[in-house]
Amino acid sequence: MAHRYDVLGLFDNEYDDEGFRTCSVTGLRIHRTVENHVKLFGLTAVVALLVGGIFAFTVATTRWEAIGLLGPDAFYTHLSMHAWNLLIFWMVFMEVAILYVGGPMVLGRRLPWTKVATAGWLTMVAGAVAVNYTIWTTSAPNEAPLLTAYVPMPVSPWFYAAACLFIVGTVIAALPFFVAMWREKREHPGKTLPLVAFAAFVTSIIAVEALVGGLVAFAPAMLWRLEIIEWVDAAWYRQMYWIIGHGTQQINLVAMITVWYFLTHVVAGAEVVSEKVSRTAFILYLFFINLGAAHHLLSDPAVSTGWRIWNTSYAFYGATFASLIHAFAIPAGIEAGRRKRGKGGGLFGWLTSAPWGNPVFSSTIFSIILFGFLGGITGVMMGQLQLNMTWHNTFATVGHFHATVVLGTTVAFMGLLFFLIRTMFRRQWLSTRLAAIQPYLYAGAMGVAVLMMMYVGILYGVPRRTVEVVSNIQGTEFDLAAASPLFAIFGIFALLAIAAGVLFILLAVGSLLFGKRIDDESNVSDLVADGGLALAEDPDDPVHAYEMRGTFVLCLVFLAAFVITYLLNWYLLTQLWAIGA
Amino acid sequence: MTSPLKPPEGDWWSQPVNRRESIWLGLGAVWSVILFGWMSVWTTAGEQNPIGETYRIESEAFREKLSAYKDAATETDEGLVPPGTDVYIQAMRFYWDGAPVVLEAGTEYDIHLNSMDVQHGFSLRPEDALSKQINLQVLPGYEWVVPMTFDEPGTYHIICNEFCGQGHRTMHGTIIVTEGS
Repeated sequence: MAHRYDVLGLFDNEYDDEGFRTCSVTGLRIHRTVENHVKLFGLTAVVALLVGGIFAFTVATTRWEAIGLLGPDAFYTHLSMHAWNLLIFWMVFMEVAILYVGGPMVLGRRLPWTKVATAGWLTMVAGAVAVNYTIWTTSAPNEAPLLTAYVPMPVSPWFYAAACLFIVGTVIAALPFFVAMWREKREHPGKTLPLVAFAAFVTSIIAVEALVGGLVAFAPAMLWRLEIIEWVDAAWYRQMYWIIGHGTQQINLVAMITVWYFLTHVVAGAEVVSEKVSRTAFILYLFFINLGAAHHLLSDPAVSTGWRIWNTSYAFYGATFASLIHAFAIPAGIEAGRRKRGKGGGLFGWLTSAPWGNPVFSSTIFSIILFGFLGGITGVMMGQLQLNMTWHNTFATVGHFHATVVLGTTVAFMGLLFFLIRTMFRRQWLSTRLAAIQPYLYAGAMGVAVLMMMYVGILYGVPRRTVEVVSNIQGTEFDLAAASPLFAIFGIFALLAIAAGVLFILLAVGSLLFGKRIDDESNVSDLVADGGLALAEDPDDPVHAYEMRGTFVLCLVFLAAFVITYLLNWYLLTQLWAIGA
Repeated sequence: MTSPLKPPEGDWWSQPVNRRESIWLGLGAVWSVILFGWMSVWTTAGEQNPIGETYRIESEAFREKLSAYKDAATETDEGLVPPGTDVYIQAMRFYWDGAPVVLEAGTEYDIHLNSMDVQHGFSLRPEDALSKQINLQVLPGYEWVVPMTFDEPGTYHIICNEFCGQGHRTMHGTIIVTEGS
């Protein structure tokens, strides 16, 4: 029965007397409370994606100085809107939905404390609207906050208050997840969690660490702007800020990898080739990934060399090693799972036979490949103490985090939304053909744009966060015009990527509003992996015994790219004059 | 049971790991150690490190030092010639006080960096080789002394690469490096 406010009929699936239904694609037993809240948070995320995406257009066409859309007065406001809506709101609303999927939904439980979940959503929405309002109404002497709102730049105190409100809302929204996990372990103390639930739990802990860091940074900054306390130290603020600034990106990373395990299993038949190894990787994340925040302080005066080396190396690259584990385990899961299903002749038959026309699959694979090659490798580059000097605050940094957050997380989340439209909202995609090509357009165009960002940053030293520096620097003859040709390529491909983003929004919203309702289970059978999911449950047919040589070759290619990029970056560094003690 | 959506049953910890996955784990571990080792060794063996002494200082106190330094320096058409090997540069919205400055190639200078007001970014490159560029964060409240030895004469340009306000894009300065005597 649809709720009386549910005029679009988006929350009206049929459930049994206990409130459950069984998903014909995943086989999960889904409770109404979980499903409706996942939908609520997912829909809100799409709204944030739309708002942030509009500002992607104005920001990109300003940085492409051949167009130079905005002047400095408007640009920083637009850049702040772009950053907060996409890096924070789009991601975090999706991540709460992912927690609810990974926890109660995978465990076949109802969502406890539903009123708290709804209250959390309301608080997050209020915080997000308030952040947007305070950014949009920035006026002198205040400056637009950008993502960082670095002290002692004058930023509206109400901006800090709004950011705190959003953070508190997120913690509230996460509470029902923790309660569900608590109850599960109380009821089944000896039972191991499914890998996806385990990964979601690790995500939630990393998330709470990050969010608390945000309060520690933003609350004193607000008090300082209200003149209640006298001074906030710039270096201290940076260190606290980056707990959330980078920490939220680590939530994106771990949530994305959770989605990788989930979707490759459901739509391509991937299996977990080693529970031990994959879970160990998540444990390594739990301890080490948040140390990655130190990357932002490598070219800072106030932290010691030992502190920088220890933290930026994630304590001896503990988290990098974890990512290398997933880089093998996930494709190996696809390879072995598909070989088991008789879909894997030769070295790469498991890939060529895969459902490339299914946008859920193609999005997930593009996310895995592009995150690894472009986002992961560059993250390690700029995370080296010395190389950081050549990356810090250049446009290459912007390229790095567009590779991680857009090519990695956003592409994966788009794939997840394509999946949810069919399985939870139970609507056919408005156009199966357009849905099939959307991931290719988006990931392809964005991939080129991201490479150009990195090149202009590293090879021409183009700074981030500025309106005019390539064609002209006011007051001097000097400029960075040599970077113009690459900027033209950047501009064209950024616009193509934005067009593909618009296509995604049209497909998502259009399918929800006008898509054909799915009444018959055979209408979603194209989503299910070849041979069905039950194959993964045969104890006499262990997946680890299947060949993984295709994955091994791909991983060696990846390692070679990693080593070559590393050597090139170091070569560039050694061309410099002598710097430092 | 190897579905990520189902609890693994039995003694899953003791399940064998595929040989190729084990080899990859070994490669990954070795690579991680190389990354760490190289970065650590370079701090002592390498020539490019973002490392220098840092002191807490009030902006006004740094201004006094800068002012005494300017009094002792020689003014030329090209810029300030420092009296010794200490060079003071203070960032403020929206210029680099202390620049332009004239230095000699082959001499090690201690560059003292500080900000008068908000956070800035000290981004430096020679005019004719844009790919040779470095970036250091400049904070109010801290004096960062970073040694530098320029090996090639030429004009080096400083741009601010941390957003510091509406005039951020105009914040530019120069270091002129001449042939060493």
